[in-house]
Amino acid sequence: MISRRNFLTTVALGTASAAALAACGQSAPAQTGSAENPVTINYTWWGNDDRAERTRKAIALFESKNPDIKVNGNFTDFAGYWQKRATEAAGGGLPDVMQWDLSYLRDYGQRNQLMDLGALKIDTSGLEKSLLPSGQIRGKTYGIPTSTNAFAVYYDPAKLKSLGVAEPDGNWTYDEYKTWLKEVGAKGNGTLFGSTDFTGIWWQFNIWLRQKNIEAFTEDGKLGFNKDDLKTWWNMASDLRGTPAIVSEERVTQLAPKSPFGSNVTVAENTWDNFMAGYLADSGAKELKVVPVPSDDPDNLGLFLKPSMLMVASAKTKFKDASARFIDFMINDPEVGQIFKTSRGVPASKKQRDGTTFEGTDKVVVDYEKSIEKYLKDAPEPPIVGFGTLEASFKRIGSDLNYGKLTVDSAADAWFKEAEDLIKQNA
Amino acid sequence: MTQSPTLTRRPTSSAPVLRKSKQRGADARAGYTFLLPWLLGFIALTVGPMISSLYLSFTNYNLFEAPKWIGLDNYTTLFQDERFLQSVGVTLSYVVFGTPLKLAAALAVAMLLNSKRKGQGFYRSAFYAPSLIGASVSIAIVWKAMFGDSGPVDQGLSFFGINLGGWVGNPSMTMPMMILLTVWQFGAPMVIFLAGLKQIPADLYEAASMDGAGPVRKFFNITWPMLSPVIFFNLLMETIHAFQIFASAYIISNGEGGPAGSTLFYTLYLYLRGFSDFRMGYASAMAWLLVIVVGIITLIFFRTSKSWVHYSGDSK
Repeated sequence: MISRRNFLTTVALGTASAAALAACGQSAPAQTGSAENPVTINYTWWGNDDRAERTRKAIALFESKNPDIKVNGNFTDFAGYWQKRATEAAGGGLPDVMQWDLSYLRDYGQRNQLMDLGALKIDTSGLEKSLLPSGQIRGKTYGIPTSTNAFAVYYDPAKLKSLGVAEPDGNWTYDEYKTWLKEVGAKGNGTLFGSTDFTGIWWQFNIWLRQKNIEAFTEDGKLGFNKDDLKTWWNMASDLRGTPAIVSEERVTQLAPKSPFGSNVTVAENTWDNFMAGYLADSGAKELKVVPVPSDDPDNLGLFLKPSMLMVASAKTKFKDASARFIDFMINDPEVGQIFKTSRGVPASKKQRDGTTFEGTDKVVVDYEKSIEKYLKDAPEPPIVGFGTLEASFKRIGSDLNYGKLTVDSAADAWFKEAEDLIKQNA
Repeated sequence: MTQSPTLTRRPTSSAPVLRKSKQRGADARAGYTFLLPWLLGFIALTVGPMISSLYLSFTNYNLFEAPKWIGLDNYTTLFQDERFLQSVGVTLSYVVFGTPLKLAAALAVAMLLNSKRKGQGFYRSAFYAPSLIGASVSIAIVWKAMFGDSGPVDQGLSFFGINLGGWVGNPSMTMPMMILLTVWQFGAPMVIFLAGLKQIPADLYEAASMDGAGPVRKFFNITWPMLSPVIFFNLLMETIHAFQIFASAYIISNGEGGPAGSTLFYTLYLYLRGFSDFRMGYASAMAWLLVIVVGIITLIFFRTSKSWVHYSGDSK
């Protein structure tokens, strides 16, 4: 157990050791290494074992190509990842290079924790010009995406076949989508369910707003939608909650941190298309397919390519050159593409994309992003400061809704109260 | 052990008073020198951070930018924060139900183990073991698996026709699960109870038997009052301990305090506020409020103790 005293002590210890390390760093004479005396940079990422294995391969390749640099890798899961970074940032000891998510770019970028990568030698010519702004804040480039993700509805064709339910073609309205979920639930016989509650997923909500031409956040960092929008959204699944169309929240909690879809409890799941590798590994399914999300406006799917797995460097790194070379390598090197395939998403850099062969399920992901090209719109700006917190509370309140602890109205009140409090706090 | 170092030296001076005070100074210096490593650690790692957290509790501090002084705002907003109130409720019910149950279990087992029998060393170790490993991360993980869907507990209960399903995902069953986890770790108070029981003179029981007292009578008229200082100590320690529950709740709920906020313990919410939401000032205010509340509860315990805790004048 962490007592208050231990807790504070840990914080103080962390701070003290970070300060000590920083002091050591200053006395180190060389900022660039040589093959005999290489410099060591720290790199950290979030992900599962699959990604860890791939990342280790990439690091080994980098070290063999750059004998003057050693990369010390470290990883955790997504939730713990941000708590760790917060502690490190407070002590001034962020790793040199980090995998980053758009949700937290403003929190750290705007508070001078990240390096302006524009000043470093990193080749971004292979990236679509429209992708870069989402890594930029006030003209400075804090993050460069390694890949792009698109939102999608996953489904397991083998399970659908066994239930005798037709595969969807992705050309559907919300009503059609819900009818499909209900059919799966009805035929699933208590063992297979349709999906998790799709209204509990922030990005699905965000896409629905875009389908109605509403941006989730205004340019000055306020909410772009109102409480009624949110109520309409959560009400959309009112007739599904508590039915087998949606897996019960009890099960979802039991299975966490694994997803119900990865645990073969549901037939479908709405999420980013780079989850393919993870789902395949978790579920053991031979094949999974992706189709576009439902939309009531067939010409506007609200979809966009989300720049993902951004590479960022700590503002305090002593090894700018080595960090830049590693970032450049992770973004552009074709062999890195071969290692990761689509497990980070579809490579953002053309160089890397062209150098990678996509087969089987990786091809499914690439083909999906191609198939929705004409529906794609510009990615939203980096979300507001504190967005990670809002995303988490959206999920939490959605879960309370499924537990029946909240009504849609009180859930919307609760979320808005938290959001407004947070926006006021960070203003 | 209690021999003071002054006794080992032999003052030979004709001015013993002066010498004595000089020597006391030297002894004190030596004492503080030996104490220094701990003292430095205590000041730098405990007192220092505590004072800075007191300051931070009056500020808006996001870990990255300089703290902004906002006076008592953190403390006042706390009471409008529904999740904070929820965390207080969760923690209080854990303390109020968990602590007495744990102490009752500890006392019951201690009394069973107090009699002389074969292999008592083994039994004592076996009952003490859970409290050694109980606070570890791995146990919380095992606990989560045991109480999950079709875990051993669910299956065991189903065998008797009780179908509760997994406890982990059921908001109304997570608190009993957490309380069971703490009750299971009764080893530490049990050992202290056992030591206390050994201190009770056997002739009291003999005399009571001769007067025809049954076991219940003996318990309430001899064991309880004779043991009351130990009960008081255990109650105090375990109550304070219970307020600080963190690791097991963090693990079992994946660091979120779920399902439906049913394991959102005070310290867990404090941690989430500080390190997930970057509201370190707010978290500091929570920490200090906890210090104050636990302090008040301790004070109340001491005040009421006079009426039910009996210290024997001569402890034989």
